[in-house]
Amino acid sequence: MEPGTEAIYNKNVAIAALVGILASLLLSFKEGVFSPVPLYGSLIFIVIMFVGHFLSNQLFLEQDPALFILCCFISQLGLIMLYRIRPESAVKQLAWFGIGFVLYFISSFASKSWIDKNIGSLIFFLATVALLASPLLFGVELYGSKSWLAFENFLFQPSELAKITFSLFLAESLKGFKIERPIVFFGQILVILSLLALARDLGGAMLFYFTALIIIFAATSRWDLTGFGLIGAVLAGFLGYRFFGHVRVRAKAWLNPWEDVPGKGYQIVQSLFAMAEGGFFGTGLGLGHPDYIPAVTTDFIFSAFFEEFGFLGASALIVLYFLFVYRGIKISLTIDNSFLSLSALSITVFFGIQIFTIIGGVIKLIPMTGVTLPFMSYGGSSMVMSFISLGILNGIKMRASGGESDE
Amino acid sequence: MFELLSRTLRYVFILLIYYFLYNFLKIMIADLRREKSQPKETGFVLQDEDGKNFPLFEINTIGRAEDADIIIDDPFISSKHALIYKRGSKLLIQDLHSTNGTFLNDKRVTKPLRLRENDEITLGTKKFVFLRGEAVGARDGSNLQ
Repeated sequence: MEPGTEAIYNKNVAIAALVGILASLLLSFKEGVFSPVPLYGSLIFIVIMFVGHFLSNQLFLEQDPALFILCCFISQLGLIMLYRIRPESAVKQLAWFGIGFVLYFISSFASKSWIDKNIGSLIFFLATVALLASPLLFGVELYGSKSWLAFENFLFQPSELAKITFSLFLAESLKGFKIERPIVFFGQILVILSLLALARDLGGAMLFYFTALIIIFAATSRWDLTGFGLIGAVLAGFLGYRFFGHVRVRAKAWLNPWEDVPGKGYQIVQSLFAMAEGGFFGTGLGLGHPDYIPAVTTDFIFSAFFEEFGFLGASALIVLYFLFVYRGIKISLTIDNSFLSLSALSITVFFGIQIFTIIGGVIKLIPMTGVTLPFMSYGGSSMVMSFISLGILNGIKMRASGGESDE
Repeated sequence: MFELLSRTLRYVFILLIYYFLYNFLKIMIADLRREKSQPKETGFVLQDEDGKNFPLFEINTIGRAEDADIIIDDPFISSKHALIYKRGSKLLIQDLHSTNGTFLNDKRVTKPLRLRENDEITLGTKKFVFLRGEAVGARDGSNLQ
C-alpha cells in the first residue's frame, strides 16, 4: 500500500471515531442528565475498530483495508441508530459486532489458506441444502417464515450461512465459464430455491435467484439464459401473487399503501412519513419519532436513519454501500483465477442485491421484502455472517495477490 | 438544550460523513488513474507484415478509429474491427461485426476464439502474426520498440 493511501485510510478511521464520539456524547445528554453508557459503548466500538484496522494491516499485507473501514463505519451508524431507538438492542448488537470482528479475522485466515482446495460443487450444494433444510425440520416460525433455528435463547438464520456456501457452489460450477451439465446445475438451483420457498422465505428466494442469474450471466455472457431468467422471475412473481397470501398483501401495500393506512399499508406509510419528516438535513439525532415505525430496528432502520440524518445523510449511506460493492467488484475483476473471481463476485452480488431490496422496499421503489440491511439492521446472524462474508472476500483478495492463476 | 445541540450537530455529522466519502472517492480516482496510466502487458505481441510489433494489453480494440488501442489505417478495416482480450490466462479474439471480417488462420471468426502462438490473423487485407514477446526479442532483437 502506498503511503498516501494509507494516510487517507487512517484519516477515515479517525473520522469514523469522531462521528461515534460526537453521537454518543449527544445521546448521553438525551435524558437531560449526563449518563455515560453510550460513551462507553462508543469507546468499546472505537477500540475494536482501531485494533481491527491496524492489526489487519499488520497481518494481511495484501488485503483491501477499505472493506473493513467501510463496514465498521456503516455498523457504527447502525449502532448509533439502535442505541437511540432501543438501548438494550444496541448493547447486544455491539456484542455481535465484537463476535463478528473475531470471526472476520478467522474467516480471512481460513479463506486465505483453504479457499481453493478444490472441494467440488457437489459438496457445496449439499452443504447449502443441509443448511436450508435444517430450519424446515427443527426450526421455529417467526415473522411468517420458517427459517430460524432456536438455541437456548438466541435465534439463528441458517440461510445467512447458506449464502456463502451457495456463492462457492455457483463459482465452483461455473469456473469453466460455461455450464457443463445444464440439467444437473439448474436442477440443483431449483432444489435450493424450492427449499427457500417451502420455508416461505420469499425475500431470501428472490435474493438467491437473482444472485444465481447475475453470476451465470457474468460467467457465461449468455443473453438467452438471462432473458429466460428474467421472464422466469416475472412468472414466479405472478405465481407468488396468486398462491401466497402475504405476497399479495405486500404487493398491494406497495402499489397503494394509502388504501389501508391503519392496516396493510401501515409499515410503508409510517416509513414514508418518517422520511418526509426528515427533509434535507434530518430532524437531528434523537429528535425523530422512530417509535412510530414498526420493525424499526430490523427492516426499517433505514427509514429511522433517514428521518434523523435527512436526505443528505441517507444518500451518503447509500453511497457508502455503493463504495463497498464497488470494492468487491474491483477485487473480483483483478483476479485471474476464475473460481476466486466468481466467488468474490457472488459474495458481493449477494450484498448488493440485499441492500437494493431492502432500501428499495422501505422507500417504496419495489415491494417490501423482509431481508436485513447488512451491517446496520439489528440481528446477530446477519451481523456475524456479514462479517464472515467480508472476511472471505478479504481472504480471496489476499489469496489472489499471492500469485494464484488458472494454470 | 438537547434539542439545540442535536439540531446543530446534525450539520456536523453530515459534513463528517461526506468528508469520509470524499476521502474514499479520492482513493478510488487515484486507483483508476493508476490503472489507466499503466495498463498491464500480457507479454504477447501482434507483428504485422513489415515486422512492426504491437504489444497486447488485457483489452485491445483494433481498428481505424482514433480511440482504438491499436490503430491501423487501412480502407478495408472497420473503425472498430476486432477485439483481443484476456480471460483467465488465455487471450481471445472476437470480431466486432466488421464489414470485411476477421480471419484466424484463414477461418472467419464468428465467436470468441482462443489465440495460440504463431496464429495468423487477417483483418481486411492486413495480416498479423500472434507471437510471444520474448520470441520476438530473440528473433530480431533490434525491432523492440
